[in-house]
Amino acid sequence: MAEEHGSNEFSYPGMSEILFMKAEKFIETVMNWGRSRSLWPLTFGTKCCAMEMIPFGATKVDADRMGTLFVGDSPRQADLILCSGTISKKMARRLLNAYEQMPHPKYVIAVGACNVSGGLFHDSYNTIEGIDRIIPTDVFIPGCPPRPEMFMDAVIVLQKLIRENKIKRYQNGVFG
Amino acid sequence: MESLDRIKGRFPSMLKDVPSTNDNEAVVELADKTQLRKIVAEAKKYFDLLFMLMVVDRPPKTFEMNYVLSSYSKKDLLTIRVNIDRDEAEIDSIAGIFTSAEWEEREAYDLFGIDFRHHPDQRRILLPEDWPGHPLRKDFEVTEEVKNWTGLDMKF
Repeated sequence: MAEEHGSNEFSYPGMSEILFMKAEKFIETVMNWGRSRSLWPLTFGTKCCAMEMIPFGATKVDADRMGTLFVGDSPRQADLILCSGTISKKMARRLLNAYEQMPHPKYVIAVGACNVSGGLFHDSYNTIEGIDRIIPTDVFIPGCPPRPEMFMDAVIVLQKLIRENKIKRYQNGVFG
Repeated sequence: MESLDRIKGRFPSMLKDVPSTNDNEAVVELADKTQLRKIVAEAKKYFDLLFMLMVVDRPPKTFEMNYVLSSYSKKDLLTIRVNIDRDEAEIDSIAGIFTSAEWEEREAYDLFGIDFRHHPDQRRILLPEDWPGHPLRKDFEVTEEVKNWTGLDMKF
């Protein structure tokens, strides 16, 4: 009797898994859509590339229309690090500290030659040759310094990566 | 330079002149490094600030320390030059006389490994605390190991 009572036309083996997977996929798509349109950046500018962040947020290029609002500039509210300038070995710890304070999901854009590869100071004893040695980086912007339009291009590329769920460390619902 | 003559009169046969091109800029060499604090304390009567502390590495034997003092009113520059031994590099700190020397000496300690006796707070100023070696010494080599050192315990 109990068995008959428990089985009905809506339950069959594996149904719950399939339903769950579909719902997860749906939720993931919606959440990625939302995340891609509200990337609040933390402007981690240590050098002259940070000057180009000002026109990036100002009227002509206008980061706000892509949802990249410069709100607060605190790592605890940020989704995105706009990391620019030379990262020295002492600064690497501060960068890692700021990165670890950010809530998941978090994305990283490396701005400028110094940040991408060490740039002018690549053979120094005190330079990190590319921040992808320390934190996982999604988009690289070359240039010394890059133009504000390239910042916008990088944000659009990152939005596309997020929407298509191509950022590997956030696939399959695994954060880390 | 009038002020230099007075300092020399106070400490006869201790300072040796080095030829200089400009009237307002004098360079003197101090042979006995233990007398540095006395000389600088006397020079503070005539000079307002420690303009800079410059260290030159001259292998194989010496570090050349240049204390450049400056006067606002007379527009004079006096360089006191002291040669110290490279192997046991230590000298008296003058941070008690000129306060700005504290950070200058920390930088010299950081990059050259010179030990300043009686320094109030002798730590590294530019490099991380656990940095291996002193990079502005001539015998310091920038190897791959040094370049890849991050000080962070992590692997990717």
